[in-house]
Amino acid sequence: MNKGNILGMRDSFFVELLRIFKNDKNTFLISADNGAPTMDLISDLEGQFLNVGIAEQQMVAMACGLALEGKSVWFYAIDPFVTIRCLEFVKLDMCAMNLPITALGVGSGYSYDNMGPTHHAVGNIATMRPWPNLTIYSPSDNIIASALAYISYEDRRPHYIKFDRTTPVNLYENKPVNINHGLIHTKSGNQVCIISTGRMVHNAVKVAEKLDKEGVSTGVVDLFRLKPINSALLLEILTNYQKIVTYEEDYLIGGMGSAVAEILVDNGIFKHFLRIGQKDAFVYDLGGREIIWKRLGLDAESVKEKILHWLT
Amino acid sequence: MNKLAPLEHIELKLKANWVRRKVLQMAVKAKSGHVTTAFSLTELLLTLYEGGVLKYRLDNSKWSGRDRFILSEGQAAIGIYPILADVGFFPMQYLDNFLGENSTLGVHSEPHTPGIEVLTGSLGHGLGIASGMAYVAKLDNISKEERLIMCLTGDGELCEGSNWEAFITIQSRNLDNIVLVVNRNHHFTIGRTDSIITQRDVCLDPLTSKLESFGFEVRLVPGHSFPKLFSVFADIRTRNIEKPLAIIADTVKGNGSSYIADKRFWHYRVPQGHELQHVETDLENEKLQLEKEYLILGGKHE
Repeated sequence: MNKGNILGMRDSFFVELLRIFKNDKNTFLISADNGAPTMDLISDLEGQFLNVGIAEQQMVAMACGLALEGKSVWFYAIDPFVTIRCLEFVKLDMCAMNLPITALGVGSGYSYDNMGPTHHAVGNIATMRPWPNLTIYSPSDNIIASALAYISYEDRRPHYIKFDRTTPVNLYENKPVNINHGLIHTKSGNQVCIISTGRMVHNAVKVAEKLDKEGVSTGVVDLFRLKPINSALLLEILTNYQKIVTYEEDYLIGGMGSAVAEILVDNGIFKHFLRIGQKDAFVYDLGGREIIWKRLGLDAESVKEKILHWLT
Repeated sequence: MNKLAPLEHIELKLKANWVRRKVLQMAVKAKSGHVTTAFSLTELLLTLYEGGVLKYRLDNSKWSGRDRFILSEGQAAIGIYPILADVGFFPMQYLDNFLGENSTLGVHSEPHTPGIEVLTGSLGHGLGIASGMAYVAKLDNISKEERLIMCLTGDGELCEGSNWEAFITIQSRNLDNIVLVVNRNHHFTIGRTDSIITQRDVCLDPLTSKLESFGFEVRLVPGHSFPKLFSVFADIRTRNIEKPLAIIADTVKGNGSSYIADKRFWHYRVPQGHELQHVETDLENEKLQLEKEYLILGGKHE
């Protein structure tokens, strides 16, 4: 059985973070009253963990104070609550002072499907993307998530990592992956390239396989580092393709598709370009993530149809 | 900290008068700056930096043995700059370039300025940051005698909920190495903080019992009296009560000139024209009076 099915990407991250914490007592994790079985071992490390209660602004401000005194700090809660809830603290106390603090948000996109607009992690990329000094990661599997524990430790600057609740399979098990590249050419093709991030990379691979069967050779790029985007490598990969699609579980305004569009425009790349994402609406639909995807036209079958329609 | 001798007291009052005149001059030249906030803090900040309260080193503003002082009400920066220059953190000429090209002295305090710890200006950030610094001192077994974490907030600033989030951490972890100083100058930008007279006002009271209920030892002090200020800070390293300390300094927004003192709408206005003449005259008269008293007490001409 693939280990991705047992542990989520957050858990893979915490397993590695625990190793780091045991080796370096100058590390610290703050939680706003969120836990995880894999986090418990860190929570028990004396002088390296604190629960501030349900108080996200305090979580970030305290992280700032700890970091100013020399600690490497991570803070953790559900994705909307480490971002939008305490955004100004992230902007000023973490990014503007360029401190070694990492925001860990669990539940990307519609991970918390039935919990409604309060817990849906959409709009976060657009919200977090502008802030200088911040590096943003959206891993697609546990292999990348594990590596990010070390990246966020060694690179003493602000980071934001958004984890999905689930990892269907590990995309990069036993495959050479260079995390420093910030993106992976997950699947090759020569006509259409689908760029995606996080959990949706798995869907993108499905869409690409469907399109291949329809006679459209389709590749996939996993954009797991959303800021800064490795635009040189991305553009190099895109030279192999005629048409470009971005596919994300987020609003079209300011998200990953917007970021890619900015790079294409700024570099004078005027290929056919389609952004697929969520319409401008709040989601109150229940029944699970697959239902939400279907209603938003973000499931693999709908996306395949959308791309085929666009190609004709 | 020394007991305040009469002559020393007059010298400090003269210094406060100089700080206010300097603040006014900087604000007028730059056409910007929170003059009345600065005027409410002059004696308090002088006590901290020139009355032997805070530990710092001029040759290394990041010296690890220093006390951490966080000016959470960042708009008061114009009030601390003359004092930081006076004690020697940076040359006095820097004050003449307040808000100017290549200056580090902005409207709000920024960490590039020697003597300033953190970026503030958006209110309600300082105390949470202080709690992190205080927690590290606790983890490292550094006593409050060795290192104090002091955070100065405005009174209006306490409306920010993040302060109350920080109070819960401070109480839960009993961070008794924290000294919260509240500049109780009774005014927001447009409203009062102590009474509901108009629709612009918000009442923070009873502030003392609120802070006590959040686990603080609370002290009240008249914020423009050097002897009282010296006294309230005298034992902050050695006090036996194992609670965080809150000092509420009762101050007057715009203190030093009756023309702008305790009046609405002077939060972010720089006096000009006849207004400026009024304020300058008030400060000049105070200076002449203090110089007379200084000579009577045996002070020497400069």
